[in-house]
Amino acid sequence: MSDLLMDAANNLNNESIREWKRAGNRVVGYTCSYVPDELFFAAGILPYRIRGFGATEATIGDTYFGPFICSLPKAMLQLAGEGRYDFLDGAIITPGCDAMRRLDECWRKAGEDIDGIVPKFFFHFGVPHKYADYTLKWFVEEIIRLKTAVEKHFGVTIEQEKLLDAIRLYNRSRDLLDRLDELRTCEAPAVSGTDALAAVLAGTAMPHDEYTKRLDGFIQERKSNAVNYRGRVRLMLVGSASDDVNLVRLIEGDRVVVVADNLCFGSRFQADRVDESGDPIQALARRYLARNDCPRMFGEYESRLTTLMDKAARAGVEGVILQNIRFCDLHGAENGLFERDLEAAGIPCLRIEREYGPLVETGRLKMRVDAFLERIWQRRKAS
Amino acid sequence: MRPETKEYRFDWMLWTMFLAGSRLKNGTEKEYQNTLGYVPYFSGILEALYDTGAPGKAFLECLAKYTENIVFARERGRKTAATSFCFSPAILHAMDIDPICFEVISVMQTFPYKRGSSEFLDFCNEAGFTETSCSSQRGSMGAFLAGMASEIDMIVTDTPGVCDTNANAFAFAATYLKKPFFTLDIPSVLVDGRTDEFQLADFRALIEFLERNTGKKLDEDKLRDVLREMAKQDDMLNELEDLARIVPGPLPGAFNLMIYASRFMFTGMKECTAVIEAMLHVARENAAKGISALSGGVENMRAFFCYIDHYTHNMDFFKYFDERGICYQGNMLSRSWSCDAPHVDAFGTEAAAYEIDTTDLDSMLRSIAAQNSRMPMVKSIRGPYDAPDMWLQDTLSLAKLYSADCVIYNGTPGCRNTWGMVKLLARDTEKAGFPTFIMYGDAFDDRVESWEATKDRLDEFFRVRRLLA
Repeated sequence: MSDLLMDAANNLNNESIREWKRAGNRVVGYTCSYVPDELFFAAGILPYRIRGFGATEATIGDTYFGPFICSLPKAMLQLAGEGRYDFLDGAIITPGCDAMRRLDECWRKAGEDIDGIVPKFFFHFGVPHKYADYTLKWFVEEIIRLKTAVEKHFGVTIEQEKLLDAIRLYNRSRDLLDRLDELRTCEAPAVSGTDALAAVLAGTAMPHDEYTKRLDGFIQERKSNAVNYRGRVRLMLVGSASDDVNLVRLIEGDRVVVVADNLCFGSRFQADRVDESGDPIQALARRYLARNDCPRMFGEYESRLTTLMDKAARAGVEGVILQNIRFCDLHGAENGLFERDLEAAGIPCLRIEREYGPLVETGRLKMRVDAFLERIWQRRKAS
Repeated sequence: MRPETKEYRFDWMLWTMFLAGSRLKNGTEKEYQNTLGYVPYFSGILEALYDTGAPGKAFLECLAKYTENIVFARERGRKTAATSFCFSPAILHAMDIDPICFEVISVMQTFPYKRGSSEFLDFCNEAGFTETSCSSQRGSMGAFLAGMASEIDMIVTDTPGVCDTNANAFAFAATYLKKPFFTLDIPSVLVDGRTDEFQLADFRALIEFLERNTGKKLDEDKLRDVLREMAKQDDMLNELEDLARIVPGPLPGAFNLMIYASRFMFTGMKECTAVIEAMLHVARENAAKGISALSGGVENMRAFFCYIDHYTHNMDFFKYFDERGICYQGNMLSRSWSCDAPHVDAFGTEAAAYEIDTTDLDSMLRSIAAQNSRMPMVKSIRGPYDAPDMWLQDTLSLAKLYSADCVIYNGTPGCRNTWGMVKLLARDTEKAGFPTFIMYGDAFDDRVESWEATKDRLDEFFRVRRLLA
């Protein structure tokens, strides 16, 4: 994989960001995949998915959040408090879940104690929890509200043609990610799950035009490469936000290949396309709100199960790892239902509750994955 | 789950227990006292309620009626809807649907049993639900998931955007039980024309859903009756809230529970009116005599709870305050946000309140949508805690209005929302001059922190902050 892609996937303030900032450009961070990146790209602003990756303690996170809170927003706050997001010119908080919603107050209040950690542009983006004509109308208005605020704060104009260009560019990268997926899900996977996650993550942390070129190059390189992961146990990774390639690396070791995922930092990012005809704001709203893959969209379990089953069948997975960060009730509860339904369909599942962060539970996780692999090997022998 | 727990239908057991409880004082005092000895885990709550006189009896009758409705809904040809405490049941009553409020039933289950709702809490985990989710739903949801209670026909909630953990519990139940499911979605800003229009559209969609699943059209006259009854209840509640400002306090602590539980069960119905009327009679009498409702007659201090009460251990919660001469000034659940509420008037927050207008269908729908979106929690934690009309403003306003000497937070570890901001809230309430205590137990599950430990910590708080000698 290109060093630049790997760097973007593994470093918060990566080389692409530094170069972007050196050129006098702005970066706006967001916490949830329901924020339309295209809007920012069209404004000449780099949209950046805020992560908790790299936090090594929770002293600041625990000061503001209570104890019974998922460690992902705590890690994000920790990094912000340590000044590691100082390169952000703006931040957008969405009601992705209860804990993520409260990052709003916790970040602002931490900013009263630690100077300069709250970006000057700080915006609450209201995303409905269901798809209907009136929720779509609300979401369209919300995108317009965000657009207006960005234009006013940063002194830019988001022109319709530029927005359409951005939509086309992001659709192109989604097409490429689909091609990457084909290399991953085929009988002899040419791409590991670790590299696939890194490839998606990089797209959330570097200028998208550059990213698309690099991604294309990576796909060409893998296509011509003879190396593959045939024979390994084929697993799928599902559940809570997971932006640490090391978690996938830990699962894969030298016996597994993660051939599919359904993570919001992972392949969910490439699902669907934005309609390139008609009003771009309407098109963005339809794509971002209608993509009901996150359990925050209540009452859509059946469609998410169908998506999961389709992905599992397409990738020929032998087992599914359903993981959730402790206190992530949404994914945790849905994983319980997935486990019931996937097992009933003959797909072995491993349900893991974990902490987000610097893989402090490596031994425990590895042991559970190993036990799961034994189950799958026994099935292989029996078949 | 123990085999004996599965022997009887859960809701039938609750109904018979509360029915018997509501009739306990029909005989002689001696019979009453003797019977208490046979229900050692229920006696505390029965005494706490009967000590309030007629209101306690009316409230027990209300609880019995609520469970009776659930048990016999099928026989009576009525539909049931599982719902949340912060979803106003008014629209359900107006459409002849019997609500099954998970949180209310969890509290009821916690009252009479030695083990509280622990077996049903745990059954949810067996069914695949997370153990970290809120115990307020799990306590009764487990019984429904286990098939030990009456059939639910549909599930409705209004917590997406307010408490996703809550919404998630109902979404899980809907999938698990394969039931029709509807959610009202809540924007983060309260006072906003765009929000009003969104909520109205959402409420119309809810009515369509209810009509589809009951096969009945909304009856405008019935809705009007419910709303008029609700307005009458609001007027009485406003007077009760006003009386609560008097020092010494004329309202027994248990009144607060009775206020909100009656509303969660029977808003807009005569059953709720009967409880409020009885409470108002007692409070007026106490106020006229200038006496405290505390059993010792002496009020040492006043405590305001900024979230919910503690329901385990025979409801020792109210006894604890009563024994120490602490006037318990209620919590966020026991407040009404009608436009004539005393705190609304005192702090000029009319824009954040609701008004009942029964002129026509449109005005009624607007009224009921506005009232629903001002239910506890929906009203005050939909947005940032420090935003206008949200949790901090409400807490400080109410604590000031009711002359509280301290603010106490109690919830459940499953409350992702409040735990995401309670430290910030406590910092601000302390700055505003209110000693603030955060309880780390679980309102529904003693296994998280024993009631004895909770009492010790409360005692320590009152002692260290020199609130009590």
